[in-house]
Amino acid sequence: MPSGETEAQSQSGASSVRYEETTKQYPGASAPAVEKLTLEVPAGEICVLVGPSGCGKTTAMRMVNRTVEISSGDVLVGERSVRDREPAQLRREIGYVIQQIGLFPHRTISENIGAVPELLGWKRDRIRARSAELLQLIGLDPELGDRYPAQLSGGQQQRVGVARALAADPLVMLMDEPFGAIDPINRERLQNEFLRLQAEIRKTVLFVTHDIDEAIKMGDRIAVMREGGRVEQYATPAELLMAPANEFVEDFVGADRALKRLALMRVGDINLWEAPLAHVGQATGEVRAKLAAPEVEIPYPLLVDSERRPLGWLSERDLDGETVPGRADSPLGPVLDRDDVMRDALADLLQGESQYAPVVDHRGRIAGVLSVEIIAEFLASPEAKSDEHPAVERPHE
Amino acid sequence: MSSPFLIAAGGQVGEGFFRERSSGTLPCQAQASHLFCWDWARENIDRYGTPTVQHLEIVVLSVLIGFVIAFALALLAHRRRQLQPPLLAATGVLYTIPSIAFFFLLLPVTGFGRDTAVIVLAAYTLQIIYRNTLLGLANVPASVKDAARGMGFTERQILWKVELPLAIPEIIAGLRVAVVSTIAIATLVVLISAGGLGTEMYGSNLNFPTAIIIAAAIVVLMALAFDLALLTTQRFLTPWRRARPL
Amino acid sequence: MSSSLPLASVGGAIEFIFTPQESNVTGGKKVGGFDKSAELLVGHLEVTLLALALALIVALPIGLYLGHKGKGELLAVGIGNAGRAIPELAVIALVASLIGVGTRNVAPALALLGIAPIIVNAYVGVRQVDPATVQAARGMGMSELGIIRKVELPLAIPTVMGGVRGAALVIIATATIAPLAGVETLGDFILNRNVYGENGLLAGAILVALLALTIEGLLALLQNRLTSDGLKLKTG
Repeated sequence: MPSGETEAQSQSGASSVRYEETTKQYPGASAPAVEKLTLEVPAGEICVLVGPSGCGKTTAMRMVNRTVEISSGDVLVGERSVRDREPAQLRREIGYVIQQIGLFPHRTISENIGAVPELLGWKRDRIRARSAELLQLIGLDPELGDRYPAQLSGGQQQRVGVARALAADPLVMLMDEPFGAIDPINRERLQNEFLRLQAEIRKTVLFVTHDIDEAIKMGDRIAVMREGGRVEQYATPAELLMAPANEFVEDFVGADRALKRLALMRVGDINLWEAPLAHVGQATGEVRAKLAAPEVEIPYPLLVDSERRPLGWLSERDLDGETVPGRADSPLGPVLDRDDVMRDALADLLQGESQYAPVVDHRGRIAGVLSVEIIAEFLASPEAKSDEHPAVERPHE
Repeated sequence: MSSPFLIAAGGQVGEGFFRERSSGTLPCQAQASHLFCWDWARENIDRYGTPTVQHLEIVVLSVLIGFVIAFALALLAHRRRQLQPPLLAATGVLYTIPSIAFFFLLLPVTGFGRDTAVIVLAAYTLQIIYRNTLLGLANVPASVKDAARGMGFTERQILWKVELPLAIPEIIAGLRVAVVSTIAIATLVVLISAGGLGTEMYGSNLNFPTAIIIAAAIVVLMALAFDLALLTTQRFLTPWRRARPL
Repeated sequence: MSSSLPLASVGGAIEFIFTPQESNVTGGKKVGGFDKSAELLVGHLEVTLLALALALIVALPIGLYLGHKGKGELLAVGIGNAGRAIPELAVIALVASLIGVGTRNVAPALALLGIAPIIVNAYVGVRQVDPATVQAARGMGMSELGIIRKVELPLAIPTVMGGVRGAALVIIATATIAPLAGVETLGDFILNRNVYGENGLLAGAILVALLALTIEGLLALLQNRLTSDGLKLKTG
């Protein structure tokens, strides 16, 4: 662990990253892949490097752990030059997550997670404990620890990839399009979960993506890059959307900037409506009473299980009997996560052709109901219109 | 015929030889082209003991030496690409030259006996083991190597902890072919006085099918046994390949 | 060694190939020389080519067909493994004692040895052709035979030729000991040392080695010619 410089380090052992005129010139190439990059990433923040293909964002990221060697200039991790150390030693203190995941097929999940600790010489018990801890942190069944990567889905594998990167409590995390190879539905889930994780552990993350929407969602700060690793704008997502520095940034962000601002909000940020809840086996009379109440915002009861997890919407027919049945007539439709960005939630609502969508927390328990109306109401409110929209609050639990 | 000497001599000597050792009843080999003589087999099975052991020794020695050399060469060629074509060609030549000819090419240098046998047989195994080892190493997914390197594995650690374990199936596949082939070819070392099961297929036995068939059967069984043993070893060493998707 | 010649040397061997030498055993009659060498070479080639042709005719269609259908993997691979385990010496010896001597009897036995590599390689070669390509061809209306001929076989050439080369090697090697079954091949020099002497021995070995390398080289060239350029680009 580097010396305790409080500016360079946050409490949980994360370091700042600083590029100082960092340059990468490949022999025989007409121009440098990355030219004199100068950038500072404060400890504990997610900095997204985003830009078109070939702009040098991946190269820039890789110079931090020297999987690409620096031609000139320097990169400082926690105020210490990366050129100071042996590459292998350096890399063991930096988490590395790649698009194709790259789990070791011949090792179990636990062994994969414990790979760097093993290199660092941790005792076997400590490694096992740490693997179990991380499996839980990334939301996987601890039983999976004894399985092999081939037995897991792509989404699960990449979660293990993230766990593996976190195992030795690194100073910095490098993530190169980590969710790029995952299907869109799981990609959203993984993004949300990573953000939840980040709220707890506060690592310094360098995140590379070509997807501006992902950048806006994930980044505390975003560096929009073009060829040669030239940073056109380095700012918070809100600034980027509301005050793009030049035409390139404007074009890259996209014409639907206003709509993109919806991405700055989370579902959990606004006041959701409540649906009358019905538990399995509850007397239907009670449920009817709830429905009849004057302040009810949604005229349909939502069937939930003992954990308050939504199962379906109940129809009139369902309430015919004495007690609430175990299954509902109408399916749930799209189920939203409190941490989903508003833009995605709107898209899901419209696509699902549903008037209402239940919103759940990270354990799947009902937290409210969202509808297009609510979104429209909110957008019309003076709060939403203000330019000083405090958009970059990350959700806590 | 150009070799009347050998066949005539073999035949005459053979008959006399066997008539002496028969148990008194009419030897079944005296009947024309009798395929398999069970009596003789039962009585004479012990004589196969020594040749079998000799055969085993030569095979194990040859394959071991061949493996060590080929494996080392493959590791070298894996690191330095430019060595691959010449090494492939060199091991290829050693493979192409028929072992019989090879035995006698070495005769002026190493003479008769086991040394020559082992050198030639080991040389024969080089190509298959070299190629398969290289292939196994090359089949390791690039993303796995990228991840390992980025996590802080040194090149050496990547080779021994990641690449080689993943290459085991290919390596053992090559070893299986090498072992089976060597067991079969080692029957020829009788020609350079190195013993082995070929002794029961040659000389006086040339006109005696029973002896030949028994020897051949032992050879094939030996090959089968080794093949199975290696396959089992491979399965044991690679539990991840058996894992079924959940 | 009862030979009037000194210990074998390469020079001596080469001399042996081209000019008849004196030998004790045959009572001063000359042995070796160009004519004899050529005669044996021809004999060797004769039985080799015959056996190879037989093996191809039998094994190639079967292997290709099984591969095309996708059936009989166990059989094909089993034959391949079993073929490797058969000791050549036993084959020659059994032919000599049970069937008879001479090229006509030995060639089929050699062919048997060659069948194994050809079948397994033909099977594997066809199986690893991209099924999408085959589907496309079928969709275009090609007949099954047409698919084998125009799509699968060309794409399988490298693997199939590998099997042919393997077969050639084992046949050439076994033909070397065919003199034990009365076929006059180059192995004669090797097996009858007491007649041909040390130099003859070495000469035989050299000639066999050269023959094998040459045939292998020719087959490699043939494979190169037969492999389509597109395929070469992909694997090259």
